[in-house]
Amino acid sequence: MEIPKKYVEKFNKIYGEKANLNELDKIYSRSLITPGEAVGVVAAQSIGEASTQMTLRTKHAAGLTSIHITSGLPRLIEIFDAKKEISTPVMSIKLKPETAKSKQKVLDFANAIIEIKVEDIVTVYNINMKRKAIEFTLDRDTMHDYGLTARDVGSKLKEMNVEFSLEGDTINVKSKTSDTLKKLMKLRNKISATTISGVPGIKRSVLNTSPDGTFWISTAGSNLDIILKKEEVDVKETTCNDIMETAKVLGIEAARNLIIEESNNTLQSVGLTVDLRHIFLIADAMCSEGEVRGIGRYGISGETESVFARAAFETPFKHLVDASLNHETDSFNFVADNIISNQVVPVGTGTVKLVYRHGRENKEETGGENKE
Amino acid sequence: MSLIFVNGKLVGTTDDGEKLEKTLIDERRKGEIKPFVNLGYRKRSDSLVINTDGGRLTRALIVVKDGKPMVTDDDIALLEEGHMTWEDLVAKGKIEYLDAEEEENAYVALNEKDLTKDHTHLEITPLSVFGTQASMLPFVNHSNAHRNVTAVKSVQQGVGTYASNHMVRMDNDAIVAVDQQRPIVTTKIYSNKAFNSHPLGQNIVVAVVSYLGYNMDDAIIINKSSVERGLFRSFFFRPYKVEEAKYTGGQSDLITVPDKDVTGYRSEDAYKHLDDDGIAYPGAIVENGDVLIGRVSPPRFVSSVDKFRLGIQKRVESSIEVRMGEGGVVENVFVTSSGEGNKYVSLKVRQDRRVEIGDKFGSRSGQKGVVGMLLPQEDMPFTLSGIVPDLLFSPFSIPSRMAMAYLFELLSGKVGALGGRYIDGTSFTGENIDDIQKELHAHGFRENGVEIMYNGITGEAMQARIFVGNMMYVRLKHFVANKIQYRARGPIQLLTRQPTEGKSKSGGLRLGEMEKDCFVAYGAALALKERFDSDKITLPVCSKCGLIAVYNAKKRIGHCMLDGDDAPIKLVEVSASFKILLDELKSVGLYPKILVGKKV
Repeated sequence: MEIPKKYVEKFNKIYGEKANLNELDKIYSRSLITPGEAVGVVAAQSIGEASTQMTLRTKHAAGLTSIHITSGLPRLIEIFDAKKEISTPVMSIKLKPETAKSKQKVLDFANAIIEIKVEDIVTVYNINMKRKAIEFTLDRDTMHDYGLTARDVGSKLKEMNVEFSLEGDTINVKSKTSDTLKKLMKLRNKISATTISGVPGIKRSVLNTSPDGTFWISTAGSNLDIILKKEEVDVKETTCNDIMETAKVLGIEAARNLIIEESNNTLQSVGLTVDLRHIFLIADAMCSEGEVRGIGRYGISGETESVFARAAFETPFKHLVDASLNHETDSFNFVADNIISNQVVPVGTGTVKLVYRHGRENKEETGGENKE
Repeated sequence: MSLIFVNGKLVGTTDDGEKLEKTLIDERRKGEIKPFVNLGYRKRSDSLVINTDGGRLTRALIVVKDGKPMVTDDDIALLEEGHMTWEDLVAKGKIEYLDAEEEENAYVALNEKDLTKDHTHLEITPLSVFGTQASMLPFVNHSNAHRNVTAVKSVQQGVGTYASNHMVRMDNDAIVAVDQQRPIVTTKIYSNKAFNSHPLGQNIVVAVVSYLGYNMDDAIIINKSSVERGLFRSFFFRPYKVEEAKYTGGQSDLITVPDKDVTGYRSEDAYKHLDDDGIAYPGAIVENGDVLIGRVSPPRFVSSVDKFRLGIQKRVESSIEVRMGEGGVVENVFVTSSGEGNKYVSLKVRQDRRVEIGDKFGSRSGQKGVVGMLLPQEDMPFTLSGIVPDLLFSPFSIPSRMAMAYLFELLSGKVGALGGRYIDGTSFTGENIDDIQKELHAHGFRENGVEIMYNGITGEAMQARIFVGNMMYVRLKHFVANKIQYRARGPIQLLTRQPTEGKSKSGGLRLGEMEKDCFVAYGAALALKERFDSDKITLPVCSKCGLIAVYNAKKRIGHCMLDGDDAPIKLVEVSASFKILLDELKSVGLYPKILVGKKV
């Protein structure tokens, strides 16, 4: 058996160049999976069994000031379903060494990336129908905390192509097109949701200290695309727990690694250890098509080749009718369809076909093995 | 200003609700207001809540005035002499009933010596903190509360005499113990509830010892010889009820010995117990498959042929036979008429239920378990004086559960049996366990109840001293005989050809989806196929059109509905449920074409 080169190299690195490769050969062949082993079912059972214990053991951390992250079974479901929008997206932003050493610089950066909308710095907003204008009263104190001035708001409004005037703490906004109340309200909502400064999606940021004395930032909310483009950010170390976002920004390999890491961490945080190789397999299955697919009707299970396997999972009639319309053929190469028709499952002992012919050849009636 | 609520409705206001409360309670004690009217003043919402409606739980308590109970020693003397009754005490306002509302404002002392000036009431007895059933168990005040709940639940399932007239009743699943005993360790409430005349359970010799491993984990070993002497024997009664129903068209069932020309006639042997009236005689020893009540019914579907043969109606046999595994002796037969005037026959079969492995037993302290082994007397351990226990209980069941009542009852039972007297095990007020221990010592035994025991098989003395004594055990109604079920071959469902489900239909145990996954995960593909072979069929398939064809295996002639007699037919082995799936697809207009012997 030929051992992959990278294992030989690693073995030599640890035990020296003259080490006996027979030992490695033993270890390698022992680690290999037997042909026909039902790895998928074993992986599903290994994670499934562990997660039944998880529901009962959800930890509650009330009153903590750190950023809340979904954990336990809900998080695991979120990962394997490949949810488009996860309930608690978080990022951990590592900065380049020259920034990371200075607490002030990191703090400034942390404050700068928090998304501030117009509604965050406004105390009152009114619609004045007499003048057909919207009046925003600015909150000077909050603005000062974020290091913003009325001019910043003004420049944003200019981009939006609206007429406005500044009177003390009040901004009057007028629009040429908006004259009815409905249109004014629409404009008001649009202006309140406008980002003045920071990165869209970042709701909160917390400063953390590493053991080596440098500082890094964790955030609630995520925007990997923009954060990675910032000059101060260490692109290699910065991560985000949103799998779909990671897949979009960094690619499918990054997403696969994130699935492995996140699901393993989720399991370990409740004190369960599942062999990593099971998780590898699931992550590989989810990412094999170049995009992250969930495990479910709209993901892997819904795209199985076998018609009966799909129908057995969910919404059977829909799958059967669609298969009929598309003239699909079920080749009986999967587990579910062979179970349904009571044939030998192509797994384990069923992967090999051994025919013993004694004397004359078998009669035709007794056949029926190669049914498709 | 206080609000006044009567039965939850606002009826008016008063200036001082607290004062009104006192006045009304005084009036009630004087007898001006009915005793079951309860009221309570709620300080926080400044309202007086008066309840007069039914459905409230009330509790009787002794009224306390200035730290002194209203029921005096004179009253008790009068009560004992019979010159005074409970009703008199209530009428005089010495005892009153409190409901949940009024209890909120009461300050109740548990014992008379605890009384202070602030107390408003005194418990009649400290035992009243327990319910009726718990107060009938000995030493419950020494046990874990959870154990007492379990103990009550256990005793509820006990086999005794559930009704004095059980001989003429026709209850389902009626079980009656053959022999019952008054417990040696009893409580005061026991006699009050007429339980001495309807006891359940027997006083047996129990040794707390781990023996041969057959009594581990809550299992118990029972002396087989004791069982053969009749220990815990009980009867199980199964009623069978039949009505001679009338149908439209003047037809009706007929309870009789069926004629031989009746459709579905069983063998003559099956009807051997029937009398001329078609009912098995009392005292008949019946077995599985024997007919108890012979009956013939008109055919369910009148076919067109039958209509022309008027007069000679072909009848169908519909006799009642003994249930699977419930053979026994016909106890009694009742023939009456139902509410509609039809003949109504009910019959009861008695079955002797001796103790067997798997039957459930419980003590009166929540320590229940199943029989793990029936051991002959010669193999049981014995004491120095030659006492052989009836039951061996595992000592590992004791520390974690902390059911002290078990140990106390075992010890007290020993004293009671030695001294020939009943022991009062009433909670709080019963006999002191220290005194009982001293009494045991006086009888010449160790104070803690342990004795030297000898292994019944080797004859060697056991290294540890064994705690052995006498206590009451109850046989619980869960018999293996009622629950045992097995199947190798048996009935199948008509549609799917799969085995039936459930004990009454002698069904199989399903190998479900998750169990299937385990076979797949293990890689046992061929074993899995065999497990699912229960509905295996051989399907003739036309390899031209892919539809199911017709095939005569004897003559080796096939016929396809589309391609005729020359169609190339191949035989395919599939499950019957798969054929149903294909049929269902066809019924909704989908064409499931089976490609045989081709690679796609």
